[in-house]
Amino acid sequence: MPTGTLPRKEPAQQPPGAQIPAMVLCPQVPLRAARGLHCSAAARNSDSWLVPPPPEPRKGPGPTKALALHEELFQQAPAGARDKANFVRAVQNFGQHNVHKRGHVDFIYLALRKMREYGVERDLAVYNLLLDVFPKEVFRPRSIIQSIFIHYPRQQECGIAVLEQMESHGVMPNKETEFLLIQIFGRKSYPMLKFVRMKLWFSRFKNINPFPVPRDLPQDPVDLAKLGLRHMEPNLSATVTIYQMPSSKDSTGAADPAEPHIVGIQTPDQQAALANHNPARPVFVEGPFSLWLRDKCVYYHILRADLLPPEEREVEEIPEEWNLYYPMQLDLDYGRSGWDDYEFDIHKVEEGPVFAICMAGAHDQATLAKWIQGLQETNPALAQIPVVFRLAGSTGELRESSSGVKEPPPPPPPPEGQEEEEDNQQRQQQGQS
Amino acid sequence: MYARLGEIIGLDASIAVTLAAHQAIGLKGIILAGNKEQKARYLPKLASGEHIAAFCLTEPSSGSDVASIKSRATLSEDKKHYILNGSKVWITNGGMANIFTVFAKTEVVDSDSSVKDKITAFIVERDFGGVTNGKPEDKLGIRGSNTCAVHFENTRVPIENVLGEVGGGFKVRVRAAPVRAARFMVSSLAPKMTAAYACMRKQFNKSLSEFGLIQEKFALMAQKAYVMESMAYLTAGMLDQPGFPDCSIEAAMVKVFSSEGAWQCVSEALQVLGGSGYMRDYPYERLLRDSRILLIFEGTNEILRMYIALTGLQHAGRILTARVNELKRGNVSTVVETIGQKLRDSLGRTVDLGLTGKLGVVHPSVEDSARKLEENAYYFGRTVETLLLRFGKTIVEEQMVLKRVANILINLYGMTAVLSRASRSIRMGIRNHDHEVLLANIFCAEAYYQNLFTLSQLDKYSPENLDEQIKKVSQQVLEKQAYICAHPLERTD
Repeated sequence: MPTGTLPRKEPAQQPPGAQIPAMVLCPQVPLRAARGLHCSAAARNSDSWLVPPPPEPRKGPGPTKALALHEELFQQAPAGARDKANFVRAVQNFGQHNVHKRGHVDFIYLALRKMREYGVERDLAVYNLLLDVFPKEVFRPRSIIQSIFIHYPRQQECGIAVLEQMESHGVMPNKETEFLLIQIFGRKSYPMLKFVRMKLWFSRFKNINPFPVPRDLPQDPVDLAKLGLRHMEPNLSATVTIYQMPSSKDSTGAADPAEPHIVGIQTPDQQAALANHNPARPVFVEGPFSLWLRDKCVYYHILRADLLPPEEREVEEIPEEWNLYYPMQLDLDYGRSGWDDYEFDIHKVEEGPVFAICMAGAHDQATLAKWIQGLQETNPALAQIPVVFRLAGSTGELRESSSGVKEPPPPPPPPEGQEEEEDNQQRQQQGQS
Repeated sequence: MYARLGEIIGLDASIAVTLAAHQAIGLKGIILAGNKEQKARYLPKLASGEHIAAFCLTEPSSGSDVASIKSRATLSEDKKHYILNGSKVWITNGGMANIFTVFAKTEVVDSDSSVKDKITAFIVERDFGGVTNGKPEDKLGIRGSNTCAVHFENTRVPIENVLGEVGGGFKVRVRAAPVRAARFMVSSLAPKMTAAYACMRKQFNKSLSEFGLIQEKFALMAQKAYVMESMAYLTAGMLDQPGFPDCSIEAAMVKVFSSEGAWQCVSEALQVLGGSGYMRDYPYERLLRDSRILLIFEGTNEILRMYIALTGLQHAGRILTARVNELKRGNVSTVVETIGQKLRDSLGRTVDLGLTGKLGVVHPSVEDSARKLEENAYYFGRTVETLLLRFGKTIVEEQMVLKRVANILINLYGMTAVLSRASRSIRMGIRNHDHEVLLANIFCAEAYYQNLFTLSQLDKYSPENLDEQIKKVSQQVLEKQAYICAHPLERTD
């Protein structure tokens, strides 16, 4: 029996008197039947393994026509208007084309792939709409044997794929989803099982991140920078200063490269430490380092100094009559015993003091020099201290082009990329020029 | 002597405070550190009351941290005056005083010719000019006394008015020397005032005095008053001995115990009266407000606890230095001796330090309490040794440990005072001495069990020692500067 085209897979048992829907399975999918249910997940190594990649174009008019039709639905939108309304319209148009919803599994997979383009991957209503595409009451098992064997496995896989995408984007399903799933697959099905698990674990893991980043990140780069800086420096006494706002966006919203935003943060302790810093030793501006906030990457620079070698570290002198009430220093010969000595921690590497952090739109020396100038207003001691700029040549992040092919990584930056020793006067000159 | 006077005046806290600010601290500087001319010039008028004195040390940015005061006194060109600039805050008698003992920083050239800032005390008269005071502060209690900020602007102080020597300011600072007797007056008054009410008022057909909880309150008031009196007079007696005995620790202990005891007693007295205690018509709320300041001024109780513990540990540390060094070096005989001692301690030994028995000091009626005191003292000594071994010099940073040490010390001193007073009363046949014996026994039993608990908290890995958890909680709360738990009704779905 097996020939070039594989036979259609019949449902396990025909419900008496019910019509077998003619478009139960799309012929392309049986290609994967051999790998369908019984192989482990490890066999699939791409990310969205449940959503099969778009099939290669095949010869023969029949199968590709259906797929092309589905693609067309999504391309009907006028160019550039990829938003929720068009997506919803495309999904609803699917139902109109054939009442019997031929190839709905494929369509749903396609729609899942297209969600990201349309920007609706976090929208629960859209997912519910997508689940609505399934015909109801058909795939529910009606006897014990049907429920033992996975009834309508492709459809169940598809349902699980929808829920999986919901999970990976952190969308919490609601009662409507539950009702839909019960209607479509019945209570004892695998999608329903996954739904129940999602409901339990999502609610438990909602607050599991001790350093939560808000779900909707601000679009404005200045606000994003402030959020990132507060994330890095949670000390409530730190002050965020905006040294430079991006120039007014008149055309499309892109910041003018001549005046990028500069936002900095500094705590009073850091200010005091900078004021006490020995002007003979330089401070370094290092960066850019990357900070990921959900899916946005921002870059920051730090102003730091090296640790004093142990010989030069001054021992804190306790003034004689510091406390008139009780002796701050006991006149005993012996110190702490080893039993209570908590000082040594193998994980703590002592690094030099960090005086301030900033996030700027551009990573070149001119912008950072403006930041240093802004810092000088609150830290007058900075005027006497030499500042060395140690900037990495590139941001070090691999950039993906739109074709999906990775570019070869940029050549590694020279160890001290653009190091320039700047004196007070030189910096001022540059600032003025 | 001062205790007796203080008792009489302690009826009203505002008067007591005004007097204390004038006499106990305002003048003491001149008496202790002034030279003959200064004494001859100022003391007669101050003693007669023509001039009032005030003591100026606290500034807005430095309460306990004295080395950070910002008032400066610079020598003028003709080297005959100091120009004083600065402002002091919360000065009792600030509005009425004419003579101020002011602490300011002066530049002192050391023997190795390095210029440092040292604190110096000055006697400043209001007539020198440039002395202004702010408006009287609106306080919670002791509203009768005048407390205000005092500002010095280019006040010219002749160099003859420097108290002590330039840079020797801290010696002038009178540290907790006089006994603060006002406190126990308050708490011995409390039973008198409330007892009449308790016997009169009837609820559920019984007078209040028949209810157990009210009886407990009266017993507490009586007990605290007794202990406070005993401690205060014991310390005063020690101070009255010839010579200049250093009773600063005892005085600090008296202050801590009395201030907290007074606060508790007045609070309970107010409680006995219920709603009417809360009303302004009755004096209880005023007493409560007045006694709240007792925990704060003259060295806050926390600071004094540190002082008690650290001074004691310093003394003990010096004696134990030899032993500790030997142990650290691992001298076998000392180690074996220590281990043997610890084993015998853990098996429970009877401690006899000579208080009880045939040649004992205390009367047999309070023998049990004396034995408890001995046991506590012995085990406390052992614990102190362990603490010094563990921490050494760095015990200064372990404030929770020091607080416990201080609490034990205060209890021990209280027990001593109470036992000695009770024994004296019985032997002399003072009236109501059996009541005193009762009070003594109750207090000693309570203090004994409290001490045992505190001692167990001082072990490193004991379940009662919650230091780590406390530090963690406080660190998390202070990081967010708020209470970080979610609301009880919050849901996640």
